[in-house]
Amino acid sequence: MKKILIIEDDTELRNELKILLENNNYQALTIEDFKDIISKIKTKDPDLILLDLNIPNINGVFIIKELRKESTVPIIVVTSKNTEVDEVISMSYGADDYITKPYNPTILLLHIEAIFKRIDGESNIITYHNVQLNLSNSTIKNGEYELTLTKNEQKILYYLIKNKGHTVTRDDIINYLWDNEDFIDDNTLTVNINRLRKKLSTIKLDNIIETRRGEGYIIL
Amino acid sequence: MKYKEYIKDKIFPIILTILTLFLITSFLIAFKLEIDKIISIQIIFLIFIITIHLYDYLRKRNFYNKMNEILEKLDKKYLLQETITKPNFYEGMILYDTLYTCNKAMIEYLNTYKYNIKDFKEYIEMWIHEVKAPIASILLITHNNQDKNTKKIKEQVKKIENYTEQVLYYVRSENSSQDYLIKRHNLDNIINNVIISNKDDLILKKIKIEIKNINVTVLTDAKWLEFIINQIINNSIKYTPNQGIIQIYASKDNHQVTLTIEDNGIGIPKEDIKKVFQKTFTGYNGHITSKSTGMGLYICQKLCQKLGHKIIVTSKQNKYTKVSIIFNENDYYSVLK
Repeated sequence: MKKILIIEDDTELRNELKILLENNNYQALTIEDFKDIISKIKTKDPDLILLDLNIPNINGVFIIKELRKESTVPIIVVTSKNTEVDEVISMSYGADDYITKPYNPTILLLHIEAIFKRIDGESNIITYHNVQLNLSNSTIKNGEYELTLTKNEQKILYYLIKNKGHTVTRDDIINYLWDNEDFIDDNTLTVNINRLRKKLSTIKLDNIIETRRGEGYIIL
Repeated sequence: MKYKEYIKDKIFPIILTILTLFLITSFLIAFKLEIDKIISIQIIFLIFIITIHLYDYLRKRNFYNKMNEILEKLDKKYLLQETITKPNFYEGMILYDTLYTCNKAMIEYLNTYKYNIKDFKEYIEMWIHEVKAPIASILLITHNNQDKNTKKIKEQVKKIENYTEQVLYYVRSENSSQDYLIKRHNLDNIINNVIISNKDDLILKKIKIEIKNINVTVLTDAKWLEFIINQIINNSIKYTPNQGIIQIYASKDNHQVTLTIEDNGIGIPKEDIKKVFQKTFTGYNGHITSKSTGMGLYICQKLCQKLGHKIIVTSKQNKYTKVSIIFNENDYYSVLK
């Protein structure tokens, strides 16, 4: 499990952030007392740091600078300072990403996920039974059969496989696609799902996506 | 300084001089002096008197005419004292010193205001940064504890967030702030961010988003532009009925990029369109929805001015509203590159 260190002085925010991360299968570490912060960060040895720039009495940029002297741990700056200048300074001292408060929790999670994917060079192939979904070239393989999916179709299938065993509502899918910069509407979703099913049936994957009437879709 | 007015002003000494001349002449006649001697005394007397007045008139005229000339050209009239040279006659010196005192008082007065505004601006900025923490907390709490009210709470929080941002950018736009940084940015990223942050409203109202050709870079401040586009999209959402369409597209020619955001909503009445950028103008549409502050577009225009962009609104009632932002390619910048 990935360890994420939260450096945030607002107690409420810190606790909720912790819950959010734990709900999404990360191990969340926190620091309550910011004295001697650099060595504290080092002993926690996190895989990623969420850093608030406005910790009282400590310059956030200084933390980045100090950490970068000997560590490449990814740092996401989470701050309410929302000027371009702050962002440029943070990035130039070696922060990996910059998110302004108040952030959309889903977006924060996406950013974290993206950073881990980047550093781990995680394999872009998702397997489900005999099926292999290759995210980098949008192909799907079922044994000897293979075909190419469109970007939307791939995203929908990926989301359904990721949530396998759970019913996914049409709203969930639309929200997921919007968060990933595909602003599709209800009709387009219907078209996409129908086409995806048709395509899947050509590689002997009929009825892999089941409809739960009045609820949504599920891949078991 | 007009000589007629000057003579009018000196009328009393002039009368006295004439009277003196008259008295002297009478005495001289009484002493039985020859007439030609009397005339020469009179002439000498008059020459001195006229010279005295002429000298006085000329040096005063020089000073006052120059002062008036400067005053006319000066845009900050209260700075007059600093732009004139100290005169060499007594009244002028009094005036000069008085002006100096007034000027100093005025500048001190202005400075207290300036500092008050600066303090106020700093306080507002600080307050906005502070208030973002609880807003972020609420968003996280509702996200972590989803139930049937989550959507409603999120909607309201979104409104608070939007109003707070408006205040922040209002303060920034009204003051000569250095809070922006012009760099090359891709419109694509900025627009996607705005749409994602308005996702809930757009999906709820089933508004179709059509995006074309926005993979263009422009010179701007990403945060400011994001705020501007967010205001425009918010308006579009507010004034477009369910299942409406918002189109976002950019076009490029040699010197400029034009980004257009077009909705097929209720549009803006002809008589209102010229006033949409006025402060607190809400117009006909503002009255129907009664949710309008009339500040959004006003702030957008101010920010655009600072960034060097142009913003134009065109509309046809019940057909469409088009908001275009025009970005100029900066020659200076391309030389630097």
